[in-house]
Amino acid sequence: MVVDDSRLVRAQLEDVLAGTDYQIAAYCRSGEDAIKQYAEVAPDLVTMDIIMQGMDGLDAAEIILKEHPDARIVMVSSLAYGDTFERAKSIGTRGFVDKPFHQEQLLRVFGQALS
Amino acid sequence: MNTVLTKEQLEQILDQALQNVTEQTAGVRLNQGDQPLGEDLCTVHITFDRGFSTSLTLCADTSLLTRMACNSFHEDEVDSEDLEDFTKEYFNVLCGKIAGSMFQATQVAAHFGPPVFYHGRYEPEGQEVQFVLTYSDDRREGAQLIHHVPRSHADGAVSDQA
Repeated sequence: MVVDDSRLVRAQLEDVLAGTDYQIAAYCRSGEDAIKQYAEVAPDLVTMDIIMQGMDGLDAAEIILKEHPDARIVMVSSLAYGDTFERAKSIGTRGFVDKPFHQEQLLRVFGQALS
Repeated sequence: MNTVLTKEQLEQILDQALQNVTEQTAGVRLNQGDQPLGEDLCTVHITFDRGFSTSLTLCADTSLLTRMACNSFHEDEVDSEDLEDFTKEYFNVLCGKIAGSMFQATQVAAHFGPPVFYHGRYEPEGQEVQFVLTYSDDRREGAQLIHHVPRSHADGAVSDQA
C-alpha cells in the first residue's frame, strides 16, 4: 500500500516495481486515508511519505502501528536524518528509503522489512 | 555546537542540493548564471517552521518546469495538475536534502510544511529576500531559488530558532 500525496511518486513506484514480485494493492493520498484503509487492504507492506497535507506520515504510521502492531511500514521521504529518522525507528517502522529513490535501494529495504 | 550558518555556507548548501536534485529527479542540468526569467512563471514555496525560521521559494519559467515534469513522468506532455504535482514533489525533495545538509552542518533539525504552488510570482508576507540564486539550462530557460528570512535577519547569518 502506497501512502503519498504525489501522483509522481505513484508513477515512479509503478515503474520501479514493474517486473518485480511486488504489486501495489492500494494508494492513499493522506495519512488519514491510510489509517482508514489499512484494515480493509491488509497490505504486506506500507510505503509512507512524511510531508503530506493534513496528518504527516510519522503520525499516521504511529497510529497504524498502535492498532496493528505487526504492520510493516517503510518510510519513503527525503527527511532521512536527525529526529525524523530516530522517531521513525522508535515508533517501529521497518526501514527508511531516501528520496529520490532507486530500484535497488527500494527493493533492498522492502526485503529487509519483510524478513 | 555550531548552530549558525553563514550566508555563504547556506548558499553553497542550496546550490549543491538544487543541482543534484534537479539532475537526479528531472534529468536537467541547471547552472548558475544571470539569465532573466520570462513572463510565464510558476512559484513553489516552503516555510521552515521549526529549526530555522526561514522560507525558500523557487520561481521558474513554466516551460522549464513543464519539461522537467515531462522527464519525470516519462510523458511527452503534462497537464496543469501534473505540473503542479511534479513541482511540489520536486521542491519537497529539494528542501529535504537542504534540511539534511543543514542538519549535518549544525545538528539542528529543520522541519517544514507541505509546499504551496502558485501560478506567477509569489512573495511571502513578513519576510524579505536574503539572497537569490539564479539558474538557467542549456535552452536559456531559467529558475530562481530565493531565500527569505524574517525582516530583522536580512543582513546576518541564519541561526536556529529552536
